[in-house]
Amino acid sequence: MNRIVTVAEMTVRELLRRRGVLLLLLLMPLTFYLIRRDAYLGQSVRSLLLGVGWAVSTAALFATTAARELEPRLRLSGYRPHHLYLGRMLGLWTVGLVISVPFFLLPMIDGADLRYGGLAAAMLCSVAVAAPFGMLIGALLPRELEGTLLLLTVVTVQMLINPAGSGAKLTPFWSSREIATWTVDNTDQGYLSRGLLHGFVVTALLALGVAAVASVRLRRRRHLRHLPVG
Amino acid sequence: MNADDWLRTLTAELHQRRVAADAARHVVAEAATHLREGGGDPWVVFGPPQQYAGAVVESIGTAPGPRPGPVRLHAAGITKRYGRRTVLHDATLTVRAGQIAAVIGANGCGKSTFLRICAGLMSPDAGEVTVSGRLGYCPQSGGTADFLLADEHFVLVGAGQGVARGPARRAGRAAARQLGWEAGGDVQARHLSGGTRQKLNLTMSTLSAPDVLLLDEPYQGFDQGTYVNFWDQLSRLRDAGTAVVVVTHLLNQLDRVDIVLDLTPARETGWHAPGIQGGRQ
Repeated sequence: MNRIVTVAEMTVRELLRRRGVLLLLLLMPLTFYLIRRDAYLGQSVRSLLLGVGWAVSTAALFATTAARELEPRLRLSGYRPHHLYLGRMLGLWTVGLVISVPFFLLPMIDGADLRYGGLAAAMLCSVAVAAPFGMLIGALLPRELEGTLLLLTVVTVQMLINPAGSGAKLTPFWSSREIATWTVDNTDQGYLSRGLLHGFVVTALLALGVAAVASVRLRRRRHLRHLPVG
Repeated sequence: MNADDWLRTLTAELHQRRVAADAARHVVAEAATHLREGGGDPWVVFGPPQQYAGAVVESIGTAPGPRPGPVRLHAAGITKRYGRRTVLHDATLTVRAGQIAAVIGANGCGKSTFLRICAGLMSPDAGEVTVSGRLGYCPQSGGTADFLLADEHFVLVGAGQGVARGPARRAGRAAARQLGWEAGGDVQARHLSGGTRQKLNLTMSTLSAPDVLLLDEPYQGFDQGTYVNFWDQLSRLRDAGTAVVVVTHLLNQLDRVDIVLDLTPARETGWHAPGIQGGRQ
């Protein structure tokens, strides 16, 4: 457990020191919210949630790419793959929750009339999905630029796709959009439960994907035999 | 080079040449006293420190080196291909406790690949590696986190071994000091110079007290003093029973190692170092 917590702590420290990148990432949810604010509150809140998802997944992508060369040597230092990816995920969730707080307060300060419990749940879903999503892209694509472009594509598709269509459920942040509908439009409870279930399943699948990629990349190779010191 | 630097280099040279510790201390103290009382440039008074150390060795001899211990690393029949290109063919290396092995060869002959295979970071197409005990690895570059402090690197590596934060920090700083670097500053790794960053890299690899230490040209960016300290530290590790494998292209250091593995394809060079093991013949 100490290993996981140490990796999480170092992930948080690293991210908080990337102040310039963090500020630019935070600008996106804020812009998303403000740009639709006069038109329709629902769109504004959904865009805000998508922006938070984008910010956290981009931070996750950067953290994963930066750790690519460090992780093999940490593996040799006694870490097992699950210490590394769980620690990193824990750190990213922590940072995600911290940066969500001002965006949770933003509609409140703005005097928006909505279900704030729902907003909190949608925000949690956004952060929960975003961390393993960014990590998975970072694990599969070795360069930040490629990963960022892929993230941008996903966020754009998420924004433009018809939410009622069956394809929308395949997008990672559908859960927060569904819960946001319940939050803003006072729809029936089904929206909330569907959203929470989707968020849970997608987070679990993405985390499993991260675990699979990390376990393969950091596996103990067959040609290497370890003997105790004789 | 001032008198202090000259004395430091002399100390390192005597250590490298396995002059008994007490005798080396005595020689350095005598030289320091002579310089302090008589003054003058040590290069004029004694000559180059390497030459003076050589004269001392001729005069008083060396302490018998510890006998090599049991086999710590055995890499046999390592073959690696990238597409149609065979980078390594049947490379073999055996290193015992208390030995330093140098892996040499032309650019692109597979030195780093061989080391990564020995570290288990890459799979070969054929061959096996057996390691006894704990493994440490220092890459040629990278391997550090840009936004973390040196102390945080030590804590991170220490946690992998179950070492608490305080002792990990202290051990890291002490190991860094062996390379002439005070590591306790408030500077992120990305702001360190190339050489200092490599010192961090090297310190991280020795922090877990490995039984087998694999170093991939770790001295890039080192100044002369640090370079001397580096070989000095390798000798100390060897004397403590560590099996060290170092990738190098600096052939003038080969008299300081016990085994040489030349990975240069035989058709490219007619020269083979003494003690050569395996490689592409």
